[in-house]
Amino acid sequence: MVFNRSLLARAALGPAAGAVLIAFMASGAIPAYQMYSVGLAAVYTIVVLSVGLLAGWSGIWSVGHPAFFAIGAYFAAYGSGHGWTLETVVLGAVAAGAALGAFLGYAGARFSVLYIALLTLAFTTVTLELINRWSSVTGGDQGVPVVRLRSVLGLGTLAGGGTETQYLAVGAAAVVLALAVPAASSGLRMRLVAAKSHPLAARTIGIAPEAQSALSFAVSGACTCFAGVLLGLLTGFVSPDPFSLTFGISLIAACVLGGVGTIVGAVTGGIYLTWNPSLSSAVGLPQPVVQGLVLIAVLLFLPGGVVPFLGGLADRVRRRSSAQRMSPSEELTDPMPPPTPSETVGDGPELLRLEHVSVSYGGLKALEDASLTLRRNEILALIGPNGAGKTTLLNVLSGLTGNGRVSGTADFAGQPLLGARATARRRLGIGRTFQHAEVFSELTVAENVLCTRRRITAGHRADVTRLLRSVGLAEVAERRPKELPFGLQKRLDLARAMAERPELLILDEPFGGLDAGERALLARHIRRLHADGTAVVIIDHVLDDLFAVAHRVLAFDFGRTIGEGTPDTVLKDPKVRSSYLGTVGTRTRPPEHVGGRSMIRLRGVGHTYGGVVALRDVDLDVRQGAVLGIAGANGAGKSTLAGILHGSLEPARGERESGGVVRTGLAPEGRALFRTLSLRENLEVAAYAAGITGGALRERLEETVEWLPARLRDRMSASAGGLSGGEQQMLAVARALIGAPDVLIVDEPALGLAPALVDEVYDRLTKLAHEGLTVVLLEQLLSRALSVCHEVVVLHEGVVAAQGRPGDPEFAALAEAAYFGGGLGAAPTAAGNARTPSVN
Amino acid sequence: MSQFLLVLVSGVASGAVYGLMGLGLVIIYRATDVVNFAMASLATLGLYVALSLHDRGVATVLGVLAAVVITVAAGLLVRETVIRPLGQGQLFSALVVTMGVSLVAENVAGSIWGDQPKAFPSLVDGTVRWSGAAVPAQSLLTIAVAAVAMALVGYLFARTTLGSAMRAAAESAETARVVGLSSQRLARISWALGLGLAALAACLYAPRSGLVPTALVAPLFRAFAGIFLGGLTSMYGAVLGGLTIGVLDNLAANYVSASFRDTFVFSFTVLVLLIRPQGMFGTRTFQRV
Repeated sequence: MVFNRSLLARAALGPAAGAVLIAFMASGAIPAYQMYSVGLAAVYTIVVLSVGLLAGWSGIWSVGHPAFFAIGAYFAAYGSGHGWTLETVVLGAVAAGAALGAFLGYAGARFSVLYIALLTLAFTTVTLELINRWSSVTGGDQGVPVVRLRSVLGLGTLAGGGTETQYLAVGAAAVVLALAVPAASSGLRMRLVAAKSHPLAARTIGIAPEAQSALSFAVSGACTCFAGVLLGLLTGFVSPDPFSLTFGISLIAACVLGGVGTIVGAVTGGIYLTWNPSLSSAVGLPQPVVQGLVLIAVLLFLPGGVVPFLGGLADRVRRRSSAQRMSPSEELTDPMPPPTPSETVGDGPELLRLEHVSVSYGGLKALEDASLTLRRNEILALIGPNGAGKTTLLNVLSGLTGNGRVSGTADFAGQPLLGARATARRRLGIGRTFQHAEVFSELTVAENVLCTRRRITAGHRADVTRLLRSVGLAEVAERRPKELPFGLQKRLDLARAMAERPELLILDEPFGGLDAGERALLARHIRRLHADGTAVVIIDHVLDDLFAVAHRVLAFDFGRTIGEGTPDTVLKDPKVRSSYLGTVGTRTRPPEHVGGRSMIRLRGVGHTYGGVVALRDVDLDVRQGAVLGIAGANGAGKSTLAGILHGSLEPARGERESGGVVRTGLAPEGRALFRTLSLRENLEVAAYAAGITGGALRERLEETVEWLPARLRDRMSASAGGLSGGEQQMLAVARALIGAPDVLIVDEPALGLAPALVDEVYDRLTKLAHEGLTVVLLEQLLSRALSVCHEVVVLHEGVVAAQGRPGDPEFAALAEAAYFGGGLGAAPTAAGNARTPSVN
Repeated sequence: MSQFLLVLVSGVASGAVYGLMGLGLVIIYRATDVVNFAMASLATLGLYVALSLHDRGVATVLGVLAAVVITVAAGLLVRETVIRPLGQGQLFSALVVTMGVSLVAENVAGSIWGDQPKAFPSLVDGTVRWSGAAVPAQSLLTIAVAAVAMALVGYLFARTTLGSAMRAAAESAETARVVGLSSQRLARISWALGLGLAALAACLYAPRSGLVPTALVAPLFRAFAGIFLGGLTSMYGAVLGGLTIGVLDNLAANYVSASFRDTFVFSFTVLVLLIRPQGMFGTRTFQRV
């Protein structure tokens, strides 16, 4: 860590305050009866700091700290009775606290926050029971006195309950605070917070969450045991009473009140805890009632705590006064000339070789027999429809396959890769980004990148500043990611992956959710990385941008490689093309359709998710009796549109009108059945939700069951999770039908189904249309949409890019162009090239 | 042998109480993501009301009914005023708020009815002779009542549409929303049901323990141990976990050491969880990026 002047000044605040306080105490300015309270406040400050920083930095909420506190106090008592020196007692207590804490932290890292609460609750209960019953050592509920402890390091002999111990407590608290301040700006804290905010992303930058939480719990436990020793000395008598579970709750209240994870907040909490009895008698309520009410009020009204709230107020005032200067330019300042495309691509030495790699989760094969090689100066793009196994392949490379079974071999830079833990891959030279920019939300932008280092030197800070400047984040370096638009969060994700100059960079949908300008910037950046000698593997659905940067393209479907080529040739491969567009034979046509009245109409509808634009300015008219197809690649905004048409998703902009009372039924993407419920119960619940009960429900249920294929009718009591994909889809449609909808919306019914089953599902949907139902079909495969619908709307990046009737001979070409490139009127893309065919 | 039988019956009776409380906790947790720490102290309020009625000569059964009603009402009040404003998915904040509620409720009970232990009436007295052992009738009644209550809960969840809807909402709140289930209504029903079970469990437990404001803290902790053992989201797990804890607790108290029963029970629970973090009936989850 770097000791700059302001840090030193802040670190000195604690000792300075302590010194002033001690001077006051010595001068007699503090009345004698308050001296003890001051000492107690100092001790409580250490405990609250231990609990609060553990919660704030590691996300571990412990109710086990009363036990640590008690262990320290009993160490003091036992030591004083057996002639131990002060130093022996402190060392013993600290060692015991560290060992127990490390165990709890390590065990707790496997569990969620609630399990840790139980684990620490159990720890407190067991410790308290031991203390109460093990009378020969603890004196049982009679307690034991702390008479005196002699110091071998020249602190003299401290009498339990004496004045010196009050000075000692204040001095000790000052030292602990002085140590906490530099720790707060150290790499240690950043790594703890990183592991807490996003354990998975933390692994990819080499941070192991288990080790982090064991370490932080050990330190926290040790500090609390130390505070326990001080408490024993301060009171001169130790009994089980103060270490109840209620005290554990009070500790949490004190932490939450002051502000979790802040040092000033801990001091505030310690003071509150000490003078809570006085406060309670002042307002005339019992102490626990005041604590309970404070706890509830703070969580409801100031969930961040008092100190951060005041700090935030001060910040806002400061920022308003300097608002004129703070206009973060989001443009990428480009100090380097645009790199010339390398002509020597593809002949560099081999960096990565995958042979026959398969991944399966239970019975599901996510990736089957994938093989690929990557050279040191190559940008490789992986394409394929949703569910093709692309993300699984990336997860194989970065070691995030979870409990999946991985087989095959992989060599990276001459070393076997598959056996290496996820946390070790960073050291091997592999960095990765995430589709949704999984950045550490509780760290600043600069800290997000800095935390990749264990120890942070001035040189590292300078490196990070340079890196952030190169991606255009320098001006927001001290902001939290949440305050940034999604595009900047993705740049941060990229910067973090690049921080240690990896040899291989893995980019998971880097273009997704970015606007045209940002995509152009990103493309420039990827080319520059390549010019610097980094190999890159990218997956994305935005093919234009992908092809503009890639040297080689590998196409996947159903977990297998189905084609390979250059960006110019790969889409000419009929197999690759059909994996997107589909090949469809003759099939039952939709009924002849006469334009009925409008059922649902969307006007200027737009929607965003946390700054990511999903839909923009969509106008749509669903007419009675029509089969309307909405086609688009993954991420084009189909499911969002489905939710808005259904009425379960409120659009952020624009209007949804429906003619009269129009009931809608949705069979969502991925079926979304209640897997633990039986087939019958799935249907019942949907009917119940639609307000159908009693006899009407039974009647509707019977009608709907009739609609299901016979092989499902016989299994109405089986659980839905056991059905095959095609059967699940039938049930999902039936569930949407049971409310007797006027409009049926089916989102990607063919996803993950074998071709024969797809035909069956589509035949049934067409039959429904023949019976007069209005159907909206959201479909990834354009050709299928064209073959079964009256009218097809092509979505491209949230915009309606084409609209027409399948019968129209010119429409097919227009729709295809729109599907891949946005067609006419689409925003100019990074490639800005002639691959977007112009259609007149 | 008869001694062992006595311990076993008493263990199953305690386990039935922990299982009922655990069942209540799990029902509330599944529906609203709230681990309701205040359940015990709210049920204690109900117990005191029942005792006051009993002292005025009201039949014990009616007192039990009053306890259930009071507990449910108090619980719904708590949910609407301090839990619901927190918003969805605030796992830890909600837990801590219920801890705060529990501090307040215990104290209110103490200030109204005093901290001195009081006797709580049994529904039945006497013993039943069985294989040479004098089994307390109250234990057998506890087991019977708990079994009936559990069977009714089982019927509700397995056989009725409302129960299916509650299971559906617990499995996926998001899908439930898309299908159109009213999550607030189901949440209220779950809270009422959970607290009702807790109040019933409290009425079965109190005759043996006596009544002080913190009387139900110990069974609550054991119910916690039981539901974690059972896997936190499984209703079968809550019942079986509670029974396991109850039997172990009584065996440990009688054959190992009466002084270290919590040590024994909690060490066992933590050990099981270290080996099987998802509990006996929980499912392992895997996070995908």
